[in-house]
Amino acid sequence: MILNLKRTSYLFSAIVLGGMLALSSCKEKVEEEEVEPLDSNKTSIVNINGTLFSIPSPIQTAMLLKQVGAPYNKAMLNGPGKIAGYSTEAKRALNLGAYGADLGYIILYQQTQEAIGYLSAVKKLSEDVGISGAFDAKLIERFKLNMSNKDSLLVFTSEAFRSSDAYLKNNDRGKVSSLIIAGGWVESLFFTSEMFSGKVADKSKLLERIGEQKTTLDNLIKQLTPYYQEEGLTEFIDNLLDLASEFDKIEVNYVFVKPTTDEANRITTINSTTEVTIAPELMTTIQEKVKNIRGLIIN
Amino acid sequence: MNTKLALIIFSLVLSISSKMSFAQCDTIANVCYKNITAKYISDGQQYRALLLKGENAEFSATLFGGTQYRMAACSGMTDGQLVFSIYDKQHNLLFTNTEHKNAPYWDFKVKNTIDCTIEAKLLNGKLESGCAVLLIGFKQ
Repeated sequence: MILNLKRTSYLFSAIVLGGMLALSSCKEKVEEEEVEPLDSNKTSIVNINGTLFSIPSPIQTAMLLKQVGAPYNKAMLNGPGKIAGYSTEAKRALNLGAYGADLGYIILYQQTQEAIGYLSAVKKLSEDVGISGAFDAKLIERFKLNMSNKDSLLVFTSEAFRSSDAYLKNNDRGKVSSLIIAGGWVESLFFTSEMFSGKVADKSKLLERIGEQKTTLDNLIKQLTPYYQEEGLTEFIDNLLDLASEFDKIEVNYVFVKPTTDEANRITTINSTTEVTIAPELMTTIQEKVKNIRGLIIN
Repeated sequence: MNTKLALIIFSLVLSISSKMSFAQCDTIANVCYKNITAKYISDGQQYRALLLKGENAEFSATLFGGTQYRMAACSGMTDGQLVFSIYDKQHNLLFTNTEHKNAPYWDFKVKNTIDCTIEAKLLNGKLESGCAVLLIGFKQ
């Protein structure tokens, strides 16, 4: 309940801020002398109350699926032939993220015959949202030359997404950057949620991974709320808020344990423990809601 | 007329300095990315903040259990210009590079998934302002 109030206040702040920006842009036309001074807060990065948000890479989820022995499931992916139907910037950005997650999954399961089709979809959508530089012919060539090396392919793909993210942030296009990340995150949550109902011997790790993303979902909502009133995003964000209210019912018990550091190898081991509990009926509700949100992206 | 001219010049300076700040971030990020070697996969994002001396940038992250991460934190063109510390959600200090000669990168073996906050600030007495860049790589 408290978290919901917090989220509502973020949403309210975003709408008020949006309104103020709109009003100030009108005002600028009348009072041309008023110019904002340059300060360090005026950056295009997503910065809510001074905090930046990191959303885990979809590749990490694909790695977990492989680790728990989940079989490759082509039917779970969004077919690359659907890109022509994505006509708005928001849809294109969300699906660019989703196809990126699909591509990571395909590479990890070494389904190379599928990879080029998905890479082409990513390339086409990146052109449509104006970030074609990162997914150029050179990348496709490098991809083709390293088809048998999944580690290299994962590095190339994630590096291309990082370059795109940097380009978008450089060019005041934080919305597109956030939507790509959101699309990838939802797609990977959908994979985990689907495989939970699939043929996996040890489902506890999948359940944990879903529950562990409670804070990530909150961070994602905070990232997206500045765009709440923009075309095609209100329903999407409302559905994320609805999902977050279900995630609030997940029990997470965290216990701090002092980390240990190996100075010579420049590595610190984080020893703290986190225990996640999700009631079976809650899991069913979460699965349904994740499927609906994913449907809003790909359909 | 003079006011309008001043306004145009000021806007141009503002626009150029903003572009220069981002260009500075880009250069720093490219140098910093060399710390995420081929052994790590980038998380696909680039986190940066324009900081004045004494200001903190805060990054909220979830680190997954069973994963090894590399975090690279840079500002300026030489190593050790950025102080970064990691706290858990109860604000227990998990790591600070000040205890390791302001190392520009460090590895983290995460046993169980953890929500954390990464705080970064410019090293005292060096830069007056600058772009703080944080990059995250991972492997299993």
